[in-house]
Amino acid sequence: MNGNEVRVEVEHASDLRGICVSVRDGFRGRLAMIACSDERRTAGGFALRHVFDVEGADVFIVLVSRVEDREPGLPPTYPSVALLIPSATLYEREIKDMFGLVAEGSPDSRPFVLHEQWPEDVHPLRKDYSLQTKQPRVEDGRYQFLEVEGEGVSEIPVGPVHAGIIEPGHFRFSILGETVVNLETRLYYTHRGVEKLAENLSLDQAVLLSERISGDEAVANSAAYCQAIEKIAGVEPPRRAMQVRAVCAEMERVYNHLGTLAALSLDAGFAYGYARLALLKERMMRLNEEVAGSRLLFGVNRIGGVNVDFTHQLARRAVEEMGQVRGDFEKVLKLLRSESSVMDRLSGTGRIQMESAVEMGLLGVAARSSGMDCDTRKDHPYGAYRGMKTDLRDGTRRQITERMIKMAKAGGDVLARFEARVGEVMSSMDMVKEILEDLDGDLRLNLVAEDMLEPFGNALGYAESHRGQTLHWVMVGGDGNSVFRYKVRTASFANWPAIELAVLNDIVADFPLINKSLDLSYAGNDL
Amino acid sequence: MTEGEKAEDAPASKASNRGVRHSGSILGNHVETDKMLLEGTRSVPGFRGDVIFQPYASRLDAEPFKRGEEVCASKAIAVGPEGAALDKGKCIMCGMCQQVAPQAFKMVNSFAVPVTTRRDLLVAQMPAPPEGGPSQTVDEIGAKLSHRIKKLLGRSLAIREVDAGSCNGCEVEVSALNNPVYDIERFGIHFVASPRHADVLLVTGVASRNLELALRRTFEATPDPKVVVAVGACACSGGIFGDTYATSGGIGKVVPVDVFVPGCPPRPEALLYGLLLAVDRVGPASSA
Repeated sequence: MNGNEVRVEVEHASDLRGICVSVRDGFRGRLAMIACSDERRTAGGFALRHVFDVEGADVFIVLVSRVEDREPGLPPTYPSVALLIPSATLYEREIKDMFGLVAEGSPDSRPFVLHEQWPEDVHPLRKDYSLQTKQPRVEDGRYQFLEVEGEGVSEIPVGPVHAGIIEPGHFRFSILGETVVNLETRLYYTHRGVEKLAENLSLDQAVLLSERISGDEAVANSAAYCQAIEKIAGVEPPRRAMQVRAVCAEMERVYNHLGTLAALSLDAGFAYGYARLALLKERMMRLNEEVAGSRLLFGVNRIGGVNVDFTHQLARRAVEEMGQVRGDFEKVLKLLRSESSVMDRLSGTGRIQMESAVEMGLLGVAARSSGMDCDTRKDHPYGAYRGMKTDLRDGTRRQITERMIKMAKAGGDVLARFEARVGEVMSSMDMVKEILEDLDGDLRLNLVAEDMLEPFGNALGYAESHRGQTLHWVMVGGDGNSVFRYKVRTASFANWPAIELAVLNDIVADFPLINKSLDLSYAGNDL
Repeated sequence: MTEGEKAEDAPASKASNRGVRHSGSILGNHVETDKMLLEGTRSVPGFRGDVIFQPYASRLDAEPFKRGEEVCASKAIAVGPEGAALDKGKCIMCGMCQQVAPQAFKMVNSFAVPVTTRRDLLVAQMPAPPEGGPSQTVDEIGAKLSHRIKKLLGRSLAIREVDAGSCNGCEVEVSALNNPVYDIERFGIHFVASPRHADVLLVTGVASRNLELALRRTFEATPDPKVVVAVGACACSGGIFGDTYATSGGIGKVVPVDVFVPGCPPRPEALLYGLLLAVDRVGPASSA
């Protein structure tokens, strides 16, 4: 046990399949992450941690198994669980590239993180691979896309350099006329080696790195990282610091949702709506700057506390400004909802059924708009969210029933995601107000000293970003001021497969709209 | 707009709303584009736009500088026998150096000035700091820019934005240029969908290994004369990500760079300033 983590040592890796299934079925566990770490020189072998998020309880089940290294040329193996739990596929492909561990019986073993121009047998996250080692480029490598055959089927390759101001990724559409019959995504173009780099930084420096996993999720990702370290050390930031974290996290949610809603309006062909919502986003970003000295809220979190504070004056200013933004937002919203050209475009497009959402293990807005009631702030309350009485915490029986009805009605289409974001903008603003009016205590730091960190101690840190749950597993080094292994799983990683499903049977021209409605981060996925 | 909304019009937001003002309703037409001074009034006091050496820091005591060097995550500070040196192309403006050694380093709220050579981003420890940042309004920068653009490119400047492996922070700021506050189209600048239509490549990110080839091809597809602007610490130098198995240590390793815009991420005013420098480079000299 470690807080809400139940650790189970799996003696023989060969038992993994059976145990995973019983955790999934017996405890209603949703696979949240598979983290691998190279512990050949410390605890022995490679350690695999299958992390399950237990539905309806504040518990994570961590299955720890060990895979022995074998002589060079023979890759270490462990049993794949991908055929039983489909969302495991991507983790297993990732582990194969980064550690060279082969999942036996995996349905898909194509290269993933390291593209075809990388030599084989390069595994950057192994401890005997140094950060700076460059690899020669393999010129004739090819990636095998799934080919759709049949009369009239053609392919459209898109990317990695896109037409808009967005991040890079490759999309391979197979189309029949205008209708998409298959879409395959190819990511990892923005792979910057975040996890390996962290192993070369001090604990404090890694906070700055975590902010730059995905720039627009800076607060959520750095909060998750800091909470993991704090959990290992057994300290908690003072109440006021946790409140500041939560306020900044909600401000991050608001400015990003406003940006997404603006882009949805633009992609639906309504530039006026875009301009108005972009204006509101800019106002929020200026507020960010006043609060944190950065328009993207960089530099808010640090281990054991925060770097920023809300003076009485600033708190009042933030509440007032958000109140004004809210008033204006409601007007723009009313206009958007009355534009049938916008609403028709959003309605029924890019539908994700609840069954598929559950199977893929979707998170955040994408999951909630398909009817899955999951929110880390509620499922695993952390920091200032513990004991908050906004609509996150279920209230009276009537409220619970109303919420259930609302969830059941969620259509899983672009419109549902649009409305889900609108709802979150409102509730985040309420939460900011509620927390700021309740600020108390002082802002001293609860510093984490080196001797508070047990050598190779490890823990999960998590937060709900505007994309969904971001889950970080950190193992500290033996000296108390280094990161031994930093495994990051943002909501984008879990949600990317959804887009391949959501576009099916829609037309190619709807793709930008569907893409934007899911608001996936390429950088947060590629690391 | 329906009658109902007109009736709901709120009174004008007051000056308390820094920078962005619109008279009457949000749905009205009178959004004020940004005219305020970058220096002082516009930049809020706490904004971390640039880092300088403290003017009166003793050159004899290297200890505080060393503390800064040690804590710097992107290795922007180097202390040698000659004194300390600061690489603004690497700096991610986190302010850690100021936190541990306030007698040596100072964060200021004017943005780090874009330059045309990488060397100009290196600052050696000097007795007095360079004074502040560019003290121009967005409109002033814009007016100069549209003058140059008219002269050189016939009224319009076409930009292709290329993400070469950024954290998407720079993308947020680049897209902010399109919002009604910055509204760069009024200066004749617009973003285009293909490198084949572009005069300027605005490149963000570390030039990750998986993207190197795509970046090179994008550059080749852009017709001459062309200018490459490196946006942000990552594009200038690799930033916090540095030069590793997965990155190239700045886009300069892959394509020739004409303008460097430091910052993490650079604010929209800095991007405009960088574009101004870029246009100056599309002179007769480089197009000949």
